[in-house]
Amino acid sequence: MTRSTGRIAGILLSLTLLLLCARPASAIPAFARKYGLPCSACHEAWPKLSNFGQVFRDNGYQLGNDRDSPIYQNPGYWPIMFRTSTQWHRETFDRFPLDSIPGNPNSPTVESNITTSGFDLTGIDMFAAGTLYKNISFGIQPFIDNTGRIHLETAFVRFDNLLGSPWINLKFGKFELDNLISERRILTLDNNGFYQLYHFKPAGDNNIFGGLGSNQLGVELLGHSRNSYTRYSVSLLSSTNGAVNLPTNHTYDVYADFTQGFEIPGLGLQRVGVYGYFGKSPTYFQTSGGNAIPGTGSGNRSYYRTGVYGLWYIGKFDFSTFYMHGQDNVFLGNGVRADQPFNLPLGAAGPSWNGGFVEAHYTYNPRLILISKYELIRMSRQANPSRADNFGNLDTWTIGYRWYPFMSTRAGLAWLQEYSRTQTAGTAPLSGLSSTSSSYLMGFDFDF
Amino acid sequence: MRFRTLIPRVLGLLLLACSVASAQESHIGDLTGHANRGKALYERYCIFCHGTHGDGRGESAAYLDPKPRDFTQATYKCRSTPTGTLPLDSDLYDTITRGVHASGMPSWNPLTRQQRADLVAYIKTFSSRFTEEKPGAPIPIPAEPPTTPESVQRGADLFQSMNCWQCHGKEGRGNGPSAVSLTDTKGYPITPFDFTSGPRFKCGNSDTELFRDLVTGLDGTPMPSFTDALKPDQIWDLVHFVKTLAKGNTVQAVQSTPKGNQ
Amino acid sequence: MKRSLPFVISTAALLLLATAGIAAGPGPDAGGGSLSGVVKFQGTAPMPMRIQMAADPACSKSHASPVMSEEVVTDGSGGLANVVVYVSDGLGDKTFDAPMQPAVLEQKGCVYEPHVLAMRAGQTLKVVNDDSTTHNIHPTPANNREWNKSQPPGLTIEETFARQEVSVPVKCNVHPWMKSYVAVVKSPYFAVSAKNGSFEIKDLPAGTYTIQAWHEKLGTKSQQVTIGANESKKVEFDFR
Repeated sequence: MTRSTGRIAGILLSLTLLLLCARPASAIPAFARKYGLPCSACHEAWPKLSNFGQVFRDNGYQLGNDRDSPIYQNPGYWPIMFRTSTQWHRETFDRFPLDSIPGNPNSPTVESNITTSGFDLTGIDMFAAGTLYKNISFGIQPFIDNTGRIHLETAFVRFDNLLGSPWINLKFGKFELDNLISERRILTLDNNGFYQLYHFKPAGDNNIFGGLGSNQLGVELLGHSRNSYTRYSVSLLSSTNGAVNLPTNHTYDVYADFTQGFEIPGLGLQRVGVYGYFGKSPTYFQTSGGNAIPGTGSGNRSYYRTGVYGLWYIGKFDFSTFYMHGQDNVFLGNGVRADQPFNLPLGAAGPSWNGGFVEAHYTYNPRLILISKYELIRMSRQANPSRADNFGNLDTWTIGYRWYPFMSTRAGLAWLQEYSRTQTAGTAPLSGLSSTSSSYLMGFDFDF
Repeated sequence: MRFRTLIPRVLGLLLLACSVASAQESHIGDLTGHANRGKALYERYCIFCHGTHGDGRGESAAYLDPKPRDFTQATYKCRSTPTGTLPLDSDLYDTITRGVHASGMPSWNPLTRQQRADLVAYIKTFSSRFTEEKPGAPIPIPAEPPTTPESVQRGADLFQSMNCWQCHGKEGRGNGPSAVSLTDTKGYPITPFDFTSGPRFKCGNSDTELFRDLVTGLDGTPMPSFTDALKPDQIWDLVHFVKTLAKGNTVQAVQSTPKGNQ
Repeated sequence: MKRSLPFVISTAALLLLATAGIAAGPGPDAGGGSLSGVVKFQGTAPMPMRIQMAADPACSKSHASPVMSEEVVTDGSGGLANVVVYVSDGLGDKTFDAPMQPAVLEQKGCVYEPHVLAMRAGQTLKVVNDDSTTHNIHPTPANNREWNKSQPPGLTIEETFARQEVSVPVKCNVHPWMKSYVAVVKSPYFAVSAKNGSFEIKDLPAGTYTIQAWHEKLGTKSQQVTIGANESKKVEFDFR
């Protein structure tokens, strides 16, 4: 008890000191370097975008002042940035299944608490983005995870302002789904920056779809008004969850998103949006010698994720509100091949759930932002009726802050502290009670 | 002795008080901007080019060409008021909204109208001129006559006789005999506009905005005001002519076309 | 409240006089002292550069002989021209009203005449174009409003400088060799040295003054002078 109150006191003390010392300022730093703008011009508190930054992004990383094309850049300029985070963090899990005698798999399993802490790294984001030519932009994002493995998060080319209109922009490649509450620009770092709803799958569900937070392969048509108050996007995506080498089959998913912004005098810009992801995933593969053949995904069954969201600004406060209704087909939900319906449990159904989160920020100034978030997921129908109704229900909350010691046009540094707690109902393996995990992290997030 | 100076002094103080109060505000249409709100916005968006003291010497300024505006001098290029006078609030608002083409100044249209009005109010506080003087009277802009070949020809003649070509070049490419010697008021080299490069005018591309540029001049640069030199019809002729330069016309080409032909 | 007519008339007269008094202000005291002297240049004057006017035939053909730059103008026997000598301190906060007649700056043969013009703050500057080509008149002051006007042949432009500034550079962007200076002084006590370096400031009231001598290239020199009523004082400035 004393330790946690001590910690809370320490956090409050640091916060107070920062509020006293934080003076207003005397993201993607590659953009800052190109244009001479500070991070705070495009980001309310990087990586969260302001409307100016959103318009820049929607324009294809172009300011539109005729200095965008590479011909206007110093030949020594290279449009790439690196971002990583060095942390100290502490994780706890309760009701973790452990062998009662370590090393003896035949010993009874007990539910026990696990706590671990220490210094750690996150992976390295490398993001190269900008223009190839006037109104042709690109983005490449290799990601090195903290074990050193590289994979491609993003790689696309985009044809901007086709026919001279901001309403027609075509993106081709692998990219994140258009979502103003983007996980890529999340302010919290637990789980490497994570919204549960963007990846949620009920237990036992083998849908390969990784959720709205997973980058997908395909083509996107996006349009926006000049100040990005009205935006739409429609994407046609391969049903591979962004995996390369055509691993599944030749079916396609569709994602669509529409946002409308409006000003409330005295308060600021507000936005509401609606989205829907409609996809199909295979439930089994053809095999040869018992081995699954990539590209032969069969027994496709459908699923969807849909909902509404809003971004609300009241002076220095802002709130992001997000609602999702998700549903997977019964075969996906139970992990059963579609050509073997007899394997379904009695009374099986397609799992569905409702979830949402509210994230509140207080941007004291461009160099200090306070963050809090609460997220919940409620199953409305279980895939397997033998499960409890609330099995898999999730609640998680996070508080933290980011402090930027300097704001410049060259690089960025944030000091952050965060505490989050997650509770999932019915998932303790033995008792069927809820499992709780918590995470405390503090460290530096920097990019250049 | 005291009586002679008392009334002017009291009136002067009253005027100063009113202008100081209004100098902390901006008025653009139905919007009222406030400098205290504009300050926080300026520190987020503007200081890295324009500097903490509004003198155009922000962190990025060394790498920019043209240099960011020095607000302490209250000399502005894009105005609807005569040369040497202060701009209207709406002139500053329009420049912030439009941005300045082919420079480091982006279009700040994505900011809300209120935010831009607040920025105008704050920017005015960098120069005491806004408390000491009133902005100039906006220049009258008469209706534009139609663009006829005769108008373009007259404009071509004026381009020659008014010595525009000395800076802008015979073809309007910005390579006239004087072009290499030109500096802005801060002493930095500045190139005359290249009319063949298309609609990239710094203060707006419409005919009305070009008319305004010619009448008010672009203060702080070598581009003068033609307010005493030309009548409005002649200015429209010049506007019509320079618009044709973007399509590859030259002074020579226009003058070799017999007058009256289509 | 009833007012009698004589009262009204006398009040009106008083107001009229007062306004006239405000407009007129104090003029230079008659019977004041005078300050005269020479501005000397020591050493070898830098060679004047030849100005090339080929870019505008209307300029080059108006000169039979070569035109030289006027940055440092001496008479060969130690006199320095174009130095603005003026009272920079010692007048207190006395204000002086600007004279009615304008100060004239001429453009002749694509050269400014005079090369250094001294005038009063608030006085009208009348710029005349005697050439057959279009100039633009572009002063770049540090303490006054900057303006820039195109001036076709025959057009006269009138403007004013509100504040003292020694000196305001003036240029023509069309003809880049054209450079001159306008010294704006708030008091009437100034002079510009002639070719032989001589200058005279008349009607200076008795008192102690700081006199400054400004040259466009050689800098500024300062001297303290105490002058009595009706006294003629000689003062010399040395530039090198």
